[in-house]
Amino acid sequence: MSIASFLSPATQESVAPPAEGVPLLEVRDLSVTFYTPRGTVRAVRHASFTVRRGEVLGLVGESGCGKSTVAFATLAYLPGTAEVGGSILFEGRDLMTMPAGELRDLRGSRIAMVYQDPGSALNPTMRVGEQVEEVLHTHLGLSGQAAEERAASLFESVGLPNPARVGRRFPHELSGGQQQRVVIAMALACEPDLLLMDEPTTGLDVTTEATILDLVAELKNRVNAGIVFVSHNLGVIARVADRVAVMYAGQVIEEAPVRELFANPSHPYTAGLLSCVPAPVNETGLMPQLRNIPGSVYPASEPNVDACLFADRCPMVQDICRESAPPEIVANAEGHPVRCFFPERVDSDTWGEPAPRPRKPRSTNEAPLLQVDGLHQYYGNDRKKYIFFGPPSRRPVRANVDVDFAIQPGRTLGIVGESGSGKSTAARSIAGLERRTSGEVLLDGEPLAAGVGDRPRGQQSKVRMVFQNPAASLNPRLPIGSVLVRSIRKSRSVGKAEARGIAVELLESVGLDGGYMDRRPRELSGGQQQRVALAAAFAADPELIIADEAVSALDVSVQAQVLNLIAERQRREGTAFMFITHDLGVVRYISDDILVLYGGHVVETGPAEAVLRPPWSPYTEALLSAAPVPDPDAEPSRIRLEGAVPTLRQPFAGCPFAGRCPRNLGDLCDNTPPPMRVDPADPRHQILCHIPLEELAADQRAAMRGRSAVGEAPGGR
Amino acid sequence: MARFLLLRLGLIVVTLLVISFAVFGVTEVLPGDVATQILGQGATPENIAVVRERLGLDDPWPVRYLSWVGGVVRGDLGESLVQRLPITEMVGSRLVNSLILASFTFFVAMPIAVAVGIWAGVHRNSLGDRLASMFSLVAISLPEFVTGVVLIILFSTTLGWLPSSSLVEPGTNPLTRPQILVLPALTLTGVMFAYVMRMTRANVIEVLETNYVRSAILKGLPMRRVIWRHVVPNAMLPTISVITLNIGWLLGGLIIVENVFSYPGIGRMLLTSIQTRDMPLLQALALLIAATYAVSNLFADLAYTWLNPRIRFA
Repeated sequence: MSIASFLSPATQESVAPPAEGVPLLEVRDLSVTFYTPRGTVRAVRHASFTVRRGEVLGLVGESGCGKSTVAFATLAYLPGTAEVGGSILFEGRDLMTMPAGELRDLRGSRIAMVYQDPGSALNPTMRVGEQVEEVLHTHLGLSGQAAEERAASLFESVGLPNPARVGRRFPHELSGGQQQRVVIAMALACEPDLLLMDEPTTGLDVTTEATILDLVAELKNRVNAGIVFVSHNLGVIARVADRVAVMYAGQVIEEAPVRELFANPSHPYTAGLLSCVPAPVNETGLMPQLRNIPGSVYPASEPNVDACLFADRCPMVQDICRESAPPEIVANAEGHPVRCFFPERVDSDTWGEPAPRPRKPRSTNEAPLLQVDGLHQYYGNDRKKYIFFGPPSRRPVRANVDVDFAIQPGRTLGIVGESGSGKSTAARSIAGLERRTSGEVLLDGEPLAAGVGDRPRGQQSKVRMVFQNPAASLNPRLPIGSVLVRSIRKSRSVGKAEARGIAVELLESVGLDGGYMDRRPRELSGGQQQRVALAAAFAADPELIIADEAVSALDVSVQAQVLNLIAERQRREGTAFMFITHDLGVVRYISDDILVLYGGHVVETGPAEAVLRPPWSPYTEALLSAAPVPDPDAEPSRIRLEGAVPTLRQPFAGCPFAGRCPRNLGDLCDNTPPPMRVDPADPRHQILCHIPLEELAADQRAAMRGRSAVGEAPGGR
Repeated sequence: MARFLLLRLGLIVVTLLVISFAVFGVTEVLPGDVATQILGQGATPENIAVVRERLGLDDPWPVRYLSWVGGVVRGDLGESLVQRLPITEMVGSRLVNSLILASFTFFVAMPIAVAVGIWAGVHRNSLGDRLASMFSLVAISLPEFVTGVVLIILFSTTLGWLPSSSLVEPGTNPLTRPQILVLPALTLTGVMFAYVMRMTRANVIEVLETNYVRSAILKGLPMRRVIWRHVVPNAMLPTISVITLNIGWLLGGLIIVENVFSYPGIGRMLLTSIQTRDMPLLQALALLIAATYAVSNLFADLAYTWLNPRIRFA
């Protein structure tokens, strides 16, 4: 059943044909200001763009640039304290002055939205079917069986498994990707004319993200709607957008067709964003150093000034940029608007030549710093149905099963896998935050106790951990200086004054000056907080730093700063890193060795350059294939994984990946544990698979033929 | 579900055992001798010894505890020392009276409190919301015996609309004269109403800020449906826990209110039993109140489970 047939005759009549030449959506000089008790927030300062029917406008920028506010303003959904300037015209009618009743009729029926974090966008106590049916009921007057049937065909059209039954599920019974499909089905229910997608794949696994992006790309052709796609991820934007508007500090600073924008950015900020994303591996297998945009986004708390808001971070800033605001002018022969005085000067070297990274000395024969053998980590105990008797109802979660790896001094081990693969568990076990169930862990040849409290002080300060959310790991009441001084004095016997001196040096080493000593964490931006967290980890002069998704929540420009900081530290002090991330671009940039985990098992391990070339384990292949490429001309990759990492309560009968593997051989894979195969080209490279490696490599090379190059797929998350 | 029920029932048994032990311990250390109490101040030591012997008061405490618990398990709560009647018989009608008053309060006050809370949460910072908050603050701060007396002065002494005491004639049931229930129920309502209403209001405000309510609004649903279908069910989850806590309040409040209004319920009986050192009766009543509390908690948990699909199947 096609979506078009969902429109009842009544609705079709009510759709007045828009006047000729009027764009579907026209945002004209929009400004949104929030007056809050903590100050004035200028979320949007100057945003102008149009969206036509049948096209996807990508809205890109770092956090705090006002992208989401623009999206919500388009549904006239802003808190009462917001002051809106300019206009948002939907088919020529201003949404800001529309009566509430008419607005309600538009919402959900002609303008619909898909949100970031689908888990929170769905009512947890309501079956998902009913959540879709209520839209059909409100706008199309459908109820009962008719509504149920249409909900089912909507579920089918967004690729949900078992569409007739899935409506009976509650949101928590669905995976993140399935939840997002439900939200999309809900948005499509009345065949909207305008679809707003606010970071719809942020927070989902790369594999899930890829399947959702496929769906969006398919929708683009199927429904004749205009789509506004908000994302901070250039790879994602490149995959789905037709045109792109780049936002900075609440302004649209550049707008261009997607190919034009990626090939020929005309604003230094756009060029900067593009050069912050970890780039493909070059011939030597070593990535050039990441360039970064210094500083952080012009704060929304600052007033509008008559100057370019990017001036403080711009490498080609001139006096005029600080004296007057650049008008929106036509940049070049292609004629795309850009808010800069010197658009013609922007090119790929605006942010400097990519400097080759100094090669690290190979140290393969050195004794490993950390040696992990047979690490098992189980959570929970066996439970029986009737407490003391009855069949077993719940087994422990097998988060890590027989994980082996080693880290050489001064090298970085990248650990990748989807959520639920056991990456963070491994990190927490090594750090001693969780007591491992079994396995041997040696640090410098000395056994490392399971719990951090049982380790001698010397060992404690040798291993440090940095977490994803710096705001949550820094004590909000302590000034930055005290955090650092504590950390220093815990591991070294120095006086207070001396410790403060070291603390200032540490802050400077992470690019913050001594003035930050007396600030509290909440006065700092996310990137600054993460640098403080790193400085606190450095304070103990550790030999190993475990970074669990330490750059995942940061904007690309800040992510580049932090990654370079880590690389720098490693080169100077020889610190080893265990770097956990779901972003393959980051892993490729930072890792010397890579460990791929799936369902708590190691499925591939080896030196980075070997792991990133075929043969891959089928899981690694799927991960690489799913990562979005910041290149609009890249062919959509071919391998898609549906579903999520399976429950880890049951031991796997065969290969852990068998249930989702596109190369599954059948009975063998399902029921016999696969061998760990050794790559003859490099014996440190090992793959858990039933398929012989020569065969895997041949198949994978054949599958890639015609595609640009080997695994050039950095994600820019 | 079977597992859940089994676990909870097991826990109730353990709770009651612990409580029985505590109650027994407390009555042991209470000053005053039962035999003296029964025989009066002028009793001879011989007579007292005889009475103590007959009541088994000289047995070591573990023996007395076990025989008491054994009786309770068999459904025999023992015999009142003062009235010389089986406690099971004495308590019956009193318990019914108390339950009538408690349910009357509960089923009138709770829906109104929840409704006002929802209204105040949705119309946050409106005049009505401020009035409701102010009223509830006053109600929370006043203890039952003050509210009760104020209500008596207002509605019976001054206006003469309602009776000041809520005596029930023997052999009848409070429902034959429901007007006697109004003042005690109103008194009991005060504190509970305030807690539940404020909690509901806070939860409604919190749920209104969630992303799924935003989705519901942006689906173009009428506000009525957003409130009743999306906000209220989710706001009720934490409210139920508060209501459960209030059952404890209600049972405690009963003791005070029944005495203020001379209402023949177990609360009044409890006080009398303390005054007359009627230990078996006191023990039985304390255990009964604890059991009521535990069972009502179980029901509240079941309601919570039923409303919350995330733990319904766990």
